[in-house]
Amino acid sequence: MRAIIAPRMQRIVVDAMGGDHAPEEIVKGAAEASIALADAEIILVGDAATLGAILPRLRHDGARVRVHHASQYVEMDEKPAEAIAAKPDASIVVAAELVAAGEGDALVSAGNTGASVLACARRWKLIAGVRRAALASVYPTELRRGDKNDPFSLILDVGATIDASAEDLVTFAIMGSAYAGLVSKNRRPRVALLSNGTEAGKGPAAVVAAHQMLLEATELNFIGNVEGLDIPRGVADVIVCNGFVGNVVLKMLEGISETVVRLARYAHKERLAWRLGLMALSSALSQLKAVTDWQQYGGAPLLGFEHVFIKAHGRSSAHAVTNAIKVAAKAQAGDLCGHIARGVAELSARRPPAARPPVLEGSA
Amino acid sequence: MNPPRHVFRWDLDKTYLRTEFDSVGDLFKNAFETAADKQAYPGATALLRALRAGEGHRVCIISGSPSQMRTVLAAKLALDGVEFDEFVLKNNLKNIMRGRFRALRAQVPYKLPALLESRAGSPPAPAETLFGDDAEADAIIYCLYADLVAGKVAMNDLARILEAARAYPDEVTRTLAAAERAPRGDVVGRVIIHLDRRSPTAGFRRFGPRLVPVYNYFQAALVLYADGLLDARQVLFIAFEMLDSRQYQLPILANSLQDLIRRNRFAQPSALRLADELREVARTAPSTLARADLPPFEDIARAFTDRVRELKGAPPLPWPDTIAPLDYVALVDEEHDNRRKRGRRGAAPP
Repeated sequence: MRAIIAPRMQRIVVDAMGGDHAPEEIVKGAAEASIALADAEIILVGDAATLGAILPRLRHDGARVRVHHASQYVEMDEKPAEAIAAKPDASIVVAAELVAAGEGDALVSAGNTGASVLACARRWKLIAGVRRAALASVYPTELRRGDKNDPFSLILDVGATIDASAEDLVTFAIMGSAYAGLVSKNRRPRVALLSNGTEAGKGPAAVVAAHQMLLEATELNFIGNVEGLDIPRGVADVIVCNGFVGNVVLKMLEGISETVVRLARYAHKERLAWRLGLMALSSALSQLKAVTDWQQYGGAPLLGFEHVFIKAHGRSSAHAVTNAIKVAAKAQAGDLCGHIARGVAELSARRPPAARPPVLEGSA
Repeated sequence: MNPPRHVFRWDLDKTYLRTEFDSVGDLFKNAFETAADKQAYPGATALLRALRAGEGHRVCIISGSPSQMRTVLAAKLALDGVEFDEFVLKNNLKNIMRGRFRALRAQVPYKLPALLESRAGSPPAPAETLFGDDAEADAIIYCLYADLVAGKVAMNDLARILEAARAYPDEVTRTLAAAERAPRGDVVGRVIIHLDRRSPTAGFRRFGPRLVPVYNYFQAALVLYADGLLDARQVLFIAFEMLDSRQYQLPILANSLQDLIRRNRFAQPSALRLADELREVARTAPSTLARADLPPFEDIARAFTDRVRELKGAPPLPWPDTIAPLDYVALVDEEHDNRRKRGRRGAAPP
C-alpha cells in the first residue's frame, strides 16, 4: 500500500505575541500564509484565547493553523536575558522549544531580537562545524541579482556575534552564500568581506586571514574585499563582517534612509517649487519604495543553527509576516541547514587538520 | 411511501464538487468536463455515502448547475458510488430563451422554491440537515428555508424578501405557493457551510448555533458525529478518504479538530467519546485500522489528544446559543452588494 503521508509539510512555528503590532498583525500574516502556502502548517504560539478570538475574523485555512498556548510573552523593550529567565512560558521560548522538540521545522518571530536569538541559542544546536551563529539582514541595492532579479543584498553578521574570528567569518560566508542561493535563487552569489580597503592585506587580522582562507579553502564566488561605499551599490550579493561592524552598518543605512525621508518632508513643506518637484517625482519614488520595501523580503535569517529562524522586523505588518513565513518555508523546503552543513563540512575537509578549529556545539 | 427519518439536502458545486465558475473560462471548462474529470472534495463522497446508508435517510441534491449537465453530473455521482433520491438542477436554457438574464445568477429565487417544493413533494421528514458553501448565498437561503418551514417567517415578509432578491413575479408566485404547501416543522437541525472561499467564520455567527462553517469534511463528520448522525467508524472512513486523497495529512486532520474546539463547535466531551469509541474499534476490530500506511492507532490518538491539550484549557470562543430573528431583507441586500463587488474584483474572495 502506498504511503499517504507523502508530501512533506513545512511546519512553521510563529511567535504570535512578538512584535510592535502583535498579536493582531502577526495572526493576520499567518492567516494569509495558511492560504498562500499549500504544503505548510502554521503553528501559532501565544495566548490561545486571544488568538482564538482573532482567527475567526480572518480569511484563513483553519485546518492548516494550529494554536499552541503560551501564557507569557517578552515585551519589545525588555532585557533579553532577564526576560527569558523570568518568563519560562514566554511565547518565543515555547516556540523555540517546539522546534527543538521536532514539533516544528522553522521559527518566525517579529519580537524582541535579543530574546529571540537567546531563546534559539539556549535550545537549538549549532550545525556541526559552526562555532557561532550569524544574523543576516537584507538591504536594497542599485544592482539586482539572481533569477528573481532581487534588489536586495545580504549582510551578515548584524549583531549575533560581536567579535568573530577568521574561521567564523569564513563560516558566515558559507552560510550567507547558501541562503542567497536558495532564497534569491542566485546560483553563484558574489561573496565579499567588508573591510577598509579592497586590497587583500587591508583590515584587521581576522579579516586578512579570512580573505586568505576564502580564496584557498572554499569554492565560493569570493570577489575579495569591499568597502562601505560598495554596499548600497550592490557590488556583492553577500557581505560578510563581524556582528559589531554589521550592526553599525545596518543602523547607519537605516539612519540615512530615515534622514532622506525627513529631508523630503522638509522640502515638501518649505517651498512650493520643491513640493512640485517632489510631486513630479512621486510615481518614481513610489516605485522605488515598492522595489526596496523591506516588508517584501519578510525578515532576517539567523544562520548557523540546525533549524531555520527568520527574524521579522519588529514593526512588521501582516504582509511582512506572511512573507517571513514564506521565506521560512522556502528555506526549510530547500534544506538550507543541510546546505550550510555540507558547505562547512567541505571547508573542514579541505583544510589541513592542524588548521581546523575545535568544534563547539550547543551554544551560540 | 414511508416517510423518511432524516433528509440531507446537498448543494453540488463548491460543496460536493470542486468547481470553479468565477470566470467565463471556468464556465466553459466546467461545461466540457467529463464525469471522470470532475473532482469531489476529499471526504465528501465518504460522508454522502455514510449518510445515505442510514435507515430512513434520504439524500436530495439541489444544484444551481444547468439542467443540461444532468447526464455528466449524474455520471460523476455514479462513479463515486453516491446514491441519491432527488436531483434538481437549474433550467438556465429556459431563462436565456426568455431573456431572463438576472435569473441566471440569482440564487434565492431559484434555490428557495426548489427546497420548499422538495419538502412539499415527498412525505415530510422530522429532521433535515443541509449542506452548502460560502461562495454564494447558501447560508441565507438555508436559514430562510429552515425558518419558513418552522413557521417563523410570515408570507408577506417572504414576499418582501423575494422582492429584495430581485425575483421575477412568477418566481415570487411559485415560491409563495411552495411555502404554503411545505409541511411545517422546526426540522432543520443543522446547516453545514463548506468554506470554499475560506470566508471568516465570524461572519456566520449571526446565523446562530444551527449553522456550522467547516473547512473540510472531517470537520463536518465531527459535527455530525456529535449530532448522532454518524458513528465513530464512519468518521474514521471519512478521514481515511481524505488521507487517501493525499491532500490531507494526520496533523491537518488533528488541526481541524482543534479549530472546531476553539470555535466552540465541537465540545471536548464529544472528542473524548469519539476517542473512546475509536479505541474500542481498534481493540475489537483491529483490521479496520490496520493500514500499512498509517502509524499505530495509539500514535494517531495521541496526535489528536495533543492538539486538544495544546490549548491548555483556554476557553473556546463563545458562539451564540440562541438566535435573534434574522432580517432576511437586509441579508439578501448585503449578499447582492457582495456579489456585485466580487464581480468587479474578478471574483476575489470577500
